[in-house]
Amino acid sequence: MSTQVANNSLGRRALQKLLRQKLTVICFVVIIIYLSIALLGALNLLPDFQARVGESYEPPSLSIAKIFGTDIFGRSVLFKLLAGTKTAISIGFLVTSIAVPIGITLGSLAGYYGGKIDGFVVWLFSVIVSVPYLLMVIAISYVLGKGMLSMCIAMGSIGWVGLCRLIRAEFLKHKEREYVLAARLLGANDYNLIFKQILPNVLHLAIITASLQVLGAIKSEVILTYLGVGVQDGSSWGSMISDATGELVNGHWWPLAGVVITMFFIIYALNVVGDALRDALDPKLVD
Amino acid sequence: MAQEVLLNVENLVVSFDTDRGKITPVNGVSFQVKRGKTLAIVGESGCGKSVTSLSIMGLIPGANGKIEGGAIEYDGQDLLKFSGTQMRKLRGDKIAMIFQEPMTALNPVYTIGNQIMEVYKLHREMSKKEAFDHALAMLEKVKIPDPKQRMREYPHQLSGGMRQRVMIAMSLACNPDVLIADEPTTALDVTIQAQVLDLMKDLQTDLGTSVIFITHDLGVVAEVADDVVVMYAGDIIERGTVFDIFKDPKHPYTQGLLDSLPKSSDTKNEELQAIKGMVPSLFDLPQGCRFKDRCALAEEACGESSPELEKFSDTHEAACFVTSRNNAA
Repeated sequence: MSTQVANNSLGRRALQKLLRQKLTVICFVVIIIYLSIALLGALNLLPDFQARVGESYEPPSLSIAKIFGTDIFGRSVLFKLLAGTKTAISIGFLVTSIAVPIGITLGSLAGYYGGKIDGFVVWLFSVIVSVPYLLMVIAISYVLGKGMLSMCIAMGSIGWVGLCRLIRAEFLKHKEREYVLAARLLGANDYNLIFKQILPNVLHLAIITASLQVLGAIKSEVILTYLGVGVQDGSSWGSMISDATGELVNGHWWPLAGVVITMFFIIYALNVVGDALRDALDPKLVD
Repeated sequence: MAQEVLLNVENLVVSFDTDRGKITPVNGVSFQVKRGKTLAIVGESGCGKSVTSLSIMGLIPGANGKIEGGAIEYDGQDLLKFSGTQMRKLRGDKIAMIFQEPMTALNPVYTIGNQIMEVYKLHREMSKKEAFDHALAMLEKVKIPDPKQRMREYPHQLSGGMRQRVMIAMSLACNPDVLIADEPTTALDVTIQAQVLDLMKDLQTDLGTSVIFITHDLGVVAEVADDVVVMYAGDIIERGTVFDIFKDPKHPYTQGLLDSLPKSSDTKNEELQAIKGMVPSLFDLPQGCRFKDRCALAEEACGESSPELEKFSDTHEAACFVTSRNNAA
């Protein structure tokens, strides 16, 4: 019995907790499927969404290419969705990988050192959040030029604020904890205290926020592309929704339905997994 | 027999700037710690014991604390002149400290083994394997059963007594010259307290560490201390060997503390004596002797000026006008 307990690292225990819930496991699988589609897309293994597979606006039928029907040029809606999945997932991860390191670093430094550094960081994110999110992203991506990368940079350079606030608050709390004092008394330096003592105690928050950040980025991309900033070659859910505004009036409902269904599953799955991660990784809820 | 003085605290004054004004929780404290011996600092909560120990560790100046004057000499060097980096290298290596709360003093996300190994990584250039072996040896030294197993466990899997043993192992890992123990047994059960005290005494004889033992528990003092310093509201009011203090306490406060202890020789079912009143607030200290409002012997003179420490024997000093006069008479 006790051997079993001892072999449980914190990470492994969290994983066991996650796998205990069926819904979480299913959502995990859903995310993995989306990730694999994105990976196939990155390797150019997805079918070409620009190719014509039939007449203009064919309603859904039982062949693979036409399961969601075709668009105005007779292109397969399904293939467009797959290409959009690749775009969405890449944006989600790109934005997160920009925002999370910035948020963690600035949050830790501000919370740990306080004083002028804290003042600067708080000023910086207060300025950023004082401008409405969409306007800010649009402004930045106009400066950097249209396209996926500049949109990701724009979203990433704003998206760190939430995480930064959270990490800063946790550091303020944790730096007064006795284990930090104990480590200091044993001769730990600032680097050691920040990154080895305190950060592992608040990292679960970063993981959870990151999982929700992916979600937020995917949704933002859709909105931005709909508004005309962002991905321009049509391989995005946002541009499909944008096109659908005109199509819907003429009774062509299937492109929109396809996008909505595709988006529903990934967003739902990310939400559920984000919640489950929060429960599983919170050290206060361990045991 | 002259003994080598390892740590000499000379007239230490520490002040804090607070929203309600400036306070001086340590107001001119002096004491010596001899090599291999135990000095107990006794006093109620808020008398400046912990601030004194944090000053020695170099953690004041902190948020708003400031060392106003005095000197802390360790092995002939003035620690107050040390840079932050020099002080950091000293901490945990030459001077270590453990404190009251073993439940929260260990980092919850690391195994016990990792945390002890970290001390070696900070102060000794060691391979992982060496650090592991040393950490394991330390756990054996503090008599943790099944140490190999415990190395891989997390703090929440250990009891309070076990955790305090781990803290002791961490603080003694680099074989420091001075160990400051700030109420190390207060949060533990009485039986565990005795075990931990025994362990600390054994290790002290084993390693030759000098210990500053901070406590409000006179029973513990009698058991572990060689010399005793009694503090009240930031001042040292009496100092002597453990025999001086327990056999012939001079200051009314020390007498009061001793009277408030239950004695096994008491057969008369007497009620325990308590010292009336409360420790004065540091924001509102009385003029003159800081103890006078609670003192049964207080006279007019006590309100006029503060008594200085006066020698009663080579080892024994106390700061009280009344006792000094009675003694002279």
